[in-house]
Formats: sequence, structure tokens, C-alpha cells
Amino acid sequence: MASRAGPAASRGMNTRFAQFKLVLLVLRFVKDQFDSYRESTIGAAFLTQTISLDESTTVKFEIWDTAGQERYKSLAPMYYRNANCAVVVYDITQSTSLDKAKAWVKELQRQANENIIIALAGNKLDLVNEQPDKRAVPTAEAEAYANEAGLLFFETSAKTAENVQELFTAIAKKLPLDQVGPRHTRPGQRPGGVSLGPVEGRDTQAGGPCSC
Amino acid sequence: MMESLSEETWDTVMCGTGLSQSLLALALSRSNKRVLHLDANDFYGEHEAALSLQEVDAWARAHADTEDTNQPSNRHVSSENDAGETVAKRTDEEKQTTPLISSGTRSSIFRNAQVWRHPDADGRGLSFPRAYSLALAPQVIYTKSKLLLQLVSSRAYKQVEFLAVGSFFVYSEGDIASGPALARIPNSREDVFSTQSIPARSKRTLMKVLKFVIDYESDEQKSVWQHQADKPLSEFLVENFKLEQNLRDSILAMTLTLDGNITLKDGLAAIHRHLTSIGLFGPGFCAVYPKWGGISEIAQVGCRAGAVGGGTYMLNTPVSMGEPNDSGEITLKLANEVSIRTTAFITSQQICSTTSHTISRLVAIVNETFQSLFETFTEGAPTPAVVVVAFPSGSLPDDAQAEPTVPIYAFVHSSDTGECPAGQSVIYLTMQTTPQSSHLLDTALAALLQATTAPADVLYKLYYEQATSSRQPLTTPQGSATVFEFPSPPLSLAFDDGSLDAVQEAWKLIMKGEVIDDAFMQFEDREGMSDDDDVYD
Repeated sequence: MASRAGPAASRGMNTRFAQFKLVLLVLRFVKDQFDSYRESTIGAAFLTQTISLDESTTVKFEIWDTAGQERYKSLAPMYYRNANCAVVVYDITQSTSLDKAKAWVKELQRQANENIIIALAGNKLDLVNEQPDKRAVPTAEAEAYANEAGLLFFETSAKTAENVQELFTAIAKKLPLDQVGPRHTRPGQRPGGVSLGPVEGRDTQAGGPCSC
Repeated sequence: MMESLSEETWDTVMCGTGLSQSLLALALSRSNKRVLHLDANDFYGEHEAALSLQEVDAWARAHADTEDTNQPSNRHVSSENDAGETVAKRTDEEKQTTPLISSGTRSSIFRNAQVWRHPDADGRGLSFPRAYSLALAPQVIYTKSKLLLQLVSSRAYKQVEFLAVGSFFVYSEGDIASGPALARIPNSREDVFSTQSIPARSKRTLMKVLKFVIDYESDEQKSVWQHQADKPLSEFLVENFKLEQNLRDSILAMTLTLDGNITLKDGLAAIHRHLTSIGLFGPGFCAVYPKWGGISEIAQVGCRAGAVGGGTYMLNTPVSMGEPNDSGEITLKLANEVSIRTTAFITSQQICSTTSHTISRLVAIVNETFQSLFETFTEGAPTPAVVVVAFPSGSLPDDAQAEPTVPIYAFVHSSDTGECPAGQSVIYLTMQTTPQSSHLLDTALAALLQATTAPADVLYKLYYEQATSSRQPLTTPQGSATVFEFPSPPLSLAFDDGSLDAVQEAWKLIMKGEVIDDAFMQFEDREGMSDDDDVYD
């Protein structure tokens, strides 16, 4: 298939590194929240997160934030392509937000690799811990849906980082670490590809090998 | 949520996610301008999109019109677009008075689209629709192109996987004994010497030509060609170098000329670009192709940069233009009746020009890998994902017609492009439109399969024709605001750096006096995006 799943890894003597592409879909509802989110993550369009599963296994996530393109259902195919895992983040203080999350889970299941691992994360746990009456989506309801749809499920706080590590670890444990392919280098430099990196010195090379 | 779109005046509203608008989105991505980027289609890339087979089927239905409805001479007609709005086809005289209405999903740039599917396509290996990504307007990008420099300086290149474009071949019918064959074009001194298919005397002539082209801008060489700059390149090659037919075909193929009559001036520039591009980014190749659908991928990366910079993206959203409001801003109505305001509206010209040529394209999915075409001939060269096959004017068997013939080009894409599953290839054939072009493209496809003796089945075919708008961007004042319309993509088979000028022009328009040209597309890495793969070493 065109979207060849691309987990990539290398094995050292006793260590194993694996890198996976993760699509982070954060549902943003209210304008001011959207804006404050943007400010805090601007520049975070291409984050990485590294998880050590055990002494010999390290998993690195290449995190593709959708940068708000999901807001009007306008996500580009490049996000889905080769994605090994996805985290769909809804807001436990917004009652409609779980429904929107469900719609995106469906979309991911339709567009992405069939073996994509999807996690559902109910965010703003810190807010609810402080003011329990702010909760609009009961944990049991979301958990029941996640079980039914075969998703990992956590309630998290991006602010205090509560359960964030746990979320990534749970995803890492479900990934096919044993089927990893050849070692992967950075984007734009994959085997068989062409690197545009060393663009300096182009002038001195003008004419290339053919300066007939 | 829609209401929030109306609350503010956008610094710019862009309509269409083809390469030009998407590069503009990239250029504006660090500007703090409020950008709303729309597309009437439900896919990115507009005229340069790459589509799954399901999307191709729908696209072909929407572009099945024959020329009648889009006669270039019918300059005063109106037609309904898919949103049911009347699309006024403007003439230059009307430009000032007719309200501009933009971008239904139908445009007159593409037409006569037809899909053909092998009756036993599934049995012969046609995979599921999303396993394919067919480029509507595939172009190779010479390594010397300014586009690559801009992608590097803007840091956007890191999100694109570039693949090497490999050998160029010339088709010849051959004699009865040998049958049709593909001859690889040598493109360096070493290559010319080691090639066995050219006799020694011809090698010397060919070397002379290559040497001349490399140095063609020097005063000495200019005195040879400048006074005849507008004559056909092929005539010059005969008169000045006594170059024989098959080598002439090779030289012409390097220019990717669609009418076979490229002028001396343009031809020399094209061959010079070809030769001096070899080796710039690695040994053995002169051009690159972005994985997963070519230019479409760069458009997506541009839009992604726009979104990361705070731009709002909406697909599937046609827009029409209303009267300027009291503050002189442009008002736009989205398909869902939401009304928005902007001081700059950036869109694409949708109406083809009367003087434009039209090209015919045939895209074929074939269950064969053509491995011999993808061999490399330079040490350390990456395995190419794209090769070029040229069918010179008059080279095809049943070409013997009274009308003058034009060359046909085939880009053969391996599954490394991500455009088809492993074990298959996508072949993109292009020629200038003639009354016979649909038939001729099929003939060329069959000839290619015969020449490679590939026991291949054609599983799926898409035929269509592509025209162009006027070649200049249009700038129209509306109240105190401005409408800027990009020209449609050029029909060339290699990316044309000329189209980057309009992007910079639009950027200046939106940035007004705030910038100096040096700042165009010059960005630092965003935090968290720099290379940190070293932890793996």
C-alpha cells in the first residue's frame, strides 16, 4: 500500500531504539482557549517525546501536532500518512467535546493505516481536580466508549503533566517494536531519498561533475 | 464556531491551496498576519493536487466537460459552478466593473477527463483506492531551482522527502529485427565516453555540443548564437554541429520541449539547466521529485506551515465576492452564508486564456516495475524513483499523418514515489493537444511497454486536457483593498521558477511596507523542530 507503515529502529548491543510517528489531535472549542493553546505550543509543530520502556528499549515519538487544521475538518493527508499512533485529546469540561473526539476517531480509522494505535485523552484533569463541578464528561462514559472502540484511554493534564508519561508509555507498549525496519534517519534523508541539507557550497560546485 | 470567522477583518483571505497560495502561506507563516486559507475542493493542492483513485473518479466526473462549455472564444458567457453560483467569465475590459466571483469547484483549466479501468483490474492487482496518489500536474524539479533554495531557507524542506529523478531515455522504433528500443541519454563527459551506443565520431560531436552549452553565456559563445536566438534549436544543431537525427532527438529531449520547436535561446537555457544541475545534491541526478505526489506535497507543507503560524484552514468551502463595505474592505461570502471581511483577497485565475496551448495527459497504473529503467550509472547515485522517456516527433509507428507531429514524454514513477503499491508503477504521459492526442498517448504507452518488453497490464487510466490562464498575475483594487489572482500552473514538465515571482509579489502586497526582499522565505528553525536525531548515534 502507498502508506507503508514506517516504524524504524536500530539495535545496538543490548539496546533497542524505535521511532514512530504520532498524530496529536487536540480539539479546541472556545476562541480564547484556542488562542492560549496556540501561544503555548507555537513552535511545537514538530515535537519529539522519548520514552524508556525498560533499560534496553527506547521509543521515540515524532509528534505531528495538527496545528489547528483539524478545526474545520481540513487535515492534510500528510498527517495520516505513515502515522503509527494518534492521540485524540478532548476536554473533560466541555460536554460536546467527546462527540467531536468520536468523529475524529472514525476519521482516523477511515484514513490512516489500519493498524494505527489510537489513544483517547480527556484533558484538563487539573481543572476538575480543583473544581469537581467543572466536569462535563463523566470518566465512565468516555472509558466505556474507548473500550468499545478499542482505544487506549487516559484522563490527563497538559498543565501539570499528570498521566502524560503514562499515556505515552501505554502507547509505546502497544507498538510493534519487534517489527521494526532499517534504521531511520531524519525526515528528508531517508534511505533512497535525497538530502537538500548541504546546500552551502552549491556555487563552488556549479557545473557538477559535468564541466565538460 | 463559524461566527468567529466574521468577527475580525482578515489581513488576507486566500482561496485555493495550489502551490502558489501554499508557498504564500509559508512566506506569511511568521508574519503575525491574520490569514484565512480556503479551498473549494475537499482536497489540498488545487490544480496541482495528488488524488487517491476514489478522488480521481470524482474529479474526472467533475471535469468531463468537452471544450464546448469552455471555448476560449466564448469570453462573455456565464456559467454555473457546482455551488450554483453564476461564474462570470471576465474579459480584460470587464475586469473593473464585473464583480469577481471566485472558485467554484469547477474550473476551465482541466477538461475532457475520462477514466478507464481494466475489466479485471482487481484480479490483476489494482489495490484499494487510497493505495494510490496520482499527481494531476507532475513536474520534476531541477536541483538548481529557486524553489528548493526557498524550501531550504524557510526550513520547510525538512518535511518533504525528495527522491532522485534518474535517466532520460529516447524512444526509437528500431528496425524489424531489433524492434523498438529506449536509448539512455548520456549527460556527462564520462557518460558520453562510456556509452557504447554512440559511434566514436558522434561522441566527438556530442561533446562539442555539451561543451558549447555549458559555456553558452560567455561572450565568445554568445556571438555564435545570439543573432539567431529565436530560430529553432534543432535547426541550429544541424547547421552548426551537423548533429545527426538521433543525437538531435536526445538533445531536444533534455529540454522537455512540448512542441518540439523550442527556440535556440530557450533551448540552450534548458540544456544548460539540465547539465549544471547534475551533482548539486548528490551524484548522478539532475532533478528531484517530492515523494507522495510531487508538487502537491510541497503545497501541503506550505499549508502546514501556515497553520502552525496561526492561519485558519477550511477545505470544501467555495467563496464568492460581494461589494466592498463602507470601510473599503472586501466582503466575501462563504458557501455556508457566513460573510467575512478582508483587505487582501488572493485567488487563482480560473479562466483559460485564448492564446494558451493545451496539453493532453494520460496517467496509467501498470502492474510492472520496469527495474531496468531505474538502474544508476554513477557511483554513489541514489536509486531514482522517476525516469523520463521521450518519444521524439514522428517516432511512433502510426504517426505518419499529414499534420505536423509533436513529441510525447512519459514520466515513469516507481512505487518509491509512494504513488502506487510495490510491484506497480505510475506512468504519466504528456503531449501538446492535437485532435489525435488521446489515441497517440495510448500508442506511446503501448510502445513503452513493448520497448521494455514488460509483460504488463494497464490497470487504470486517466485521460484529460489541461489549459492555462493568462501567464501574469492580476491585481485589481476593490475599495481600499486588493484582489490578487495567481496565474494557473504552467504546462511545463519541469518546475518553472518564473511562478515564484508572483508569490513574492503577493507577499509584498500583503506585507505592505513592512519588509525588505531579503527577508522573503528566510526563517530560523522553530523551537523543537531542529535536528535532534543525534541521540541515536
